[in-house]
Amino acid sequence: MITAERKPIDEIRAIIAPYKKVLVLGCGSCVAECAAGGEKERGMLASTLRMANKMDGKEVLIQEKTLDRQCVKDFVILLDDIIDQYDAVLSLGCGAGVQAVAEMFSELPVLPALNTEFLGETRDQGYWVENCLGCGDCMLDDFGGVCPLARCSKQLLNGPCGGSREGKCEINPEVPCAWQAIIDRLDRFGALDRLEQIYPPKDWSRKQGGGPRKIMREDQQR
Amino acid sequence: MKDASRLKRVLDQGGFAVTAECGPPKGADAEAILRKAELLRNTVDAVNVTDNQTAIVRMSSLAACSLLKAAGLDPVLQVVVRDRNRIALQSDILGASALGIRNVLCLSGDHQSFGNQPQAVGVFDLDSIQFVQVVKTMRDKGTILGGEALTKAPDLFVGAAANPFGDPFSFRVVRLAKKVAAGAQFIQTQCIYNLERFEKWMAMSRDRGLTEKTYILGGVTPLKSAGMARYMKKKVAGMDVPDEVLRRMEGVPAKQQAHEGIKICVETIQRLKEIPGVRGVHIMAIEWEDKVAEIVERAGLLPRPVISKQ
Amino acid sequence: MESRISSDTKARVAKQTRPPQAEKRTLALFYCQNTPESGEAVRQALEKKHASSLRLFPIPCSGRIEPLHLMKALEEFADAAYVIACPEGACRYFEGNTRATKRVALTAQMLAQIGLEKERVGIVANSKETPKTLAALALELLDRTAELRPSPVLARPNQGKGTKEKKDDHSRKKTH
Repeated sequence: MITAERKPIDEIRAIIAPYKKVLVLGCGSCVAECAAGGEKERGMLASTLRMANKMDGKEVLIQEKTLDRQCVKDFVILLDDIIDQYDAVLSLGCGAGVQAVAEMFSELPVLPALNTEFLGETRDQGYWVENCLGCGDCMLDDFGGVCPLARCSKQLLNGPCGGSREGKCEINPEVPCAWQAIIDRLDRFGALDRLEQIYPPKDWSRKQGGGPRKIMREDQQR
Repeated sequence: MKDASRLKRVLDQGGFAVTAECGPPKGADAEAILRKAELLRNTVDAVNVTDNQTAIVRMSSLAACSLLKAAGLDPVLQVVVRDRNRIALQSDILGASALGIRNVLCLSGDHQSFGNQPQAVGVFDLDSIQFVQVVKTMRDKGTILGGEALTKAPDLFVGAAANPFGDPFSFRVVRLAKKVAAGAQFIQTQCIYNLERFEKWMAMSRDRGLTEKTYILGGVTPLKSAGMARYMKKKVAGMDVPDEVLRRMEGVPAKQQAHEGIKICVETIQRLKEIPGVRGVHIMAIEWEDKVAEIVERAGLLPRPVISKQ
Repeated sequence: MESRISSDTKARVAKQTRPPQAEKRTLALFYCQNTPESGEAVRQALEKKHASSLRLFPIPCSGRIEPLHLMKALEEFADAAYVIACPEGACRYFEGNTRATKRVALTAQMLAQIGLEKERVGIVANSKETPKTLAALALELLDRTAELRPSPVLARPNQGKGTKEKKDDHSRKKTH
């Protein structure tokens, strides 16, 4: 999933300040999972903004809606009937969602209420961790299911670096050393000797070589 | 002699090498690095120049090495992979060789969050082991990554760093083996205070035959004060300062702590000389370069050998 | 009537800090149905007694409270929104009161971000040894929240300096 966190209220208020009719748009997918932009959070944010406006004597129309997903055209198009009522959309989607809505309604400012952060897992309730970089060339089979690019602070393919202490990364004692995890994992599988080979340099062109990436699947198209 | 690696020759001829570290200034001040260099002339076989150590912006290692070379010293160019992608790294290798620099130490580098530019992107396009391999291939095959031929191959004595005290201990020797397999001809270790643990690591390295394939230089750093010892023990990652060293430093009055620190350093070097497979010492007297001569002398390592031209 | 009051007097009255009790305020109270003497009849009686000062909302467990309930109450009609929970360790659903505490805290944080007093929301855990009734707790909380200035969020016709009756004041005789 994609994780995000809500921007500070002050920042959001500054972003929507020029507008008089704002649609606060929640998303029922990833951002709901990480409690940043789902229906509940949308409700809280919209209510808070209306209250703040009342306190300041500002007359602004703030209405709300949630889409199941903001990043899929078929859902975004459901806004078609109502979008003309607004002069801006405050999206609680991740960056992908904000842009998908903006792409559909390109005459309208679509503004982010969240800071999108990382691709990761819900490790535990209320606890999300980054674990994938989207490198386009997955090597998890070589590293016991622990990604050395996403989870090692120095992206070493031939780690560890020597700065770790008791299994924690040198940059922050709360960050687990990915290489410790890889070694432990491969050891458990009896495959530690796999790490004796020198891994060649990563092909980063699969991530950035052609600018923003795309996938086209004819079999999926109309 | 002018264009060869003095460090390599001392080691090839069976000598116990001495290298020291030199940090470039936080400014465009050529004089600063030359002043430090003078303190080390005829005291050491080669001078390492650090590369934006601790992710703090300093004069580039390449430029500083060039100044040292022009002043007649044998610099070791330290290069970290944190700040440059493979294009820049290979380019700098060619530039270094063209400037007559004959030693390079390939490192990961401290993470950018430690320094004075924490908002910088950390490049980490290659890791240090891949980088060693790249340099070796440039030198021996005359090709860059991908196989394209160079017009002239660089001439460099390639080294890597090793930390005998990092976690996990069991894997440390595997990592050393990888560095050697990648082409590291010399290794400079993290500074040693725990000789027992270092000896274990050396034994494991010998068992794997690594001491036959690479020259290991043990790192030492003289302690200036008990405070410094405490700091290194608690705050510096990958460092092992045993309690008894700390006790020794704390056991003398403040005014004598520097003196005690140097004493411990000299004793460490003397013990290193006895360990089979240790082929030299690397003295990292950070901002204390004026003490290096004294340390080298008291450790019985002066005068430095005269190197025959070959 | 104004002609009978001298301008001096008017000025003096205007300058006085109006005692908080003179301003109408509303407390929204969400209470766990496990609270002693909190059945429907009690709820109706309490609302009647306190008129628009108190609105009561029964919930099956304090853990059912969502930050949005509190926020909406404050947005629409309440000067303060409080939760009554069971004593620590005595929640029949085990964690309900713990969760409620965290949600109230989250709501307080949001309020602070727009310059509202955190004390407009709160949670009270009933006492384990001497559990209080809903009526008793309601009184305590009305007292506690009486200190808060009227919410700047709520649109209210001017609380008069004079004796003019508000058009939409349906009625109840003032009890204070």
